[in-house]
Amino acid sequence: MKRLLLALPVFAVVLGACGGAAVPQETLTAAKASVSGAEVAGAAAEPKAALHLKLAKEQIAKAEALIADGDNEEAAIEIDRAQADADLSMSLAKEAKAKREAAETIEQLERLKRNTQ
Amino acid sequence: MSERTKKILCGLGAALAFGCGSTPTPVELLDARKAYDKAAKSPAAQLAPAQLDTAKQALAKAEASFEDEGDEPITKDLSYIAIRRAEIAEAEAGREQAERARQKTDKDFRQTELAAAEGHKQTKAQLEAERKARLAAEKQAAAAMASLNEIAKVKEESRGMVITLSGAVLFASGKSTLLPIAQDKIAEVAKALKDQGFKSILVEGHTDAQGSVEKNQILSLQRAEAVRSYLIREGIPSDKIRADGIGSSRPVADNSTAEGRANNRRVEIVVEPFK
Repeated sequence: MKRLLLALPVFAVVLGACGGAAVPQETLTAAKASVSGAEVAGAAAEPKAALHLKLAKEQIAKAEALIADGDNEEAAIEIDRAQADADLSMSLAKEAKAKREAAETIEQLERLKRNTQ
Repeated sequence: MSERTKKILCGLGAALAFGCGSTPTPVELLDARKAYDKAAKSPAAQLAPAQLDTAKQALAKAEASFEDEGDEPITKDLSYIAIRRAEIAEAEAGREQAERARQKTDKDFRQTELAAAEGHKQTKAQLEAERKARLAAEKQAAAAMASLNEIAKVKEESRGMVITLSGAVLFASGKSTLLPIAQDKIAEVAKALKDQGFKSILVEGHTDAQGSVEKNQILSLQRAEAVRSYLIREGIPSDKIRADGIGSSRPVADNSTAEGRANNRRVEIVVEPFK
């Protein structure tokens, strides 16, 4: 975000123009990759993770529409939001998996204790 | 127009289009502050410090935007992002917690498995040791039996194992003192009995039919007691062995022949086994 603001010429800020920014291709690609990552981590199967996955996808779609309209500055902000939602979706998916595995291990231990006593 | 500028202009009392009151904090920023506070108080502080710091920076950015731009969409966007960053810190902490719990349980699992295997091994080893001990005891008993058979006449009867020692071998005629050879023999019998194991022992003295019944009774008892005493000397527990004088009342041979009378003059050691 800061990068973009620094790149904007001063008069563009005063005039409120948003056509001077470059297309945020790098960050868009990164956000899309994060969405894929979250899907691979099983986000779709976790309710909370799935919600943020959906939000991420929606915001990416919005960003692409804004880019098509030439609103690169606004697109950049949408992408940042999408990135945050994708990251959260991933974290939630991984957390859910870790909790599941911990519960399974405890169950295994209980079973072993029962069988050896 | 920044908040600071507004405040300065307000202070100058200039008429402005923007109004003099400070903009109310947008609800998104309030939520972002709450979200960060929650994360900072959660295990994220210990378990996900890096992510928590990222959240802190995101919140600071939102705050700076509010100070500089006021209640603009950018502030709302940055607040939105800050909320997500705070939630990520909490989720990462939750994940770390679960991961640690899993590792600990894994360790416990392995240890329990090991202990069970050890116990298994021990039981197996114990059983094997017991089996070996049983075999050794059986071997010893068999060897004892074999040696007994070499020393004396051994017969299995309903009352137990009967070891018959000839009177001539044990005592001088009419006497109840053990001959030296007899002592050796009885020592061997004692060893064999100890090796074999027994529940109780009865020593019976028998005579032939010559002489008075009373005298025979007394002599047979004295002889039985002599053998008993010697067996005790050789390690047989005194509370497990008793002596009885039978006299001539239970002959095993014909008293009218010399050979028969010799056979009747005997000591019988009756061994009651454990089973």
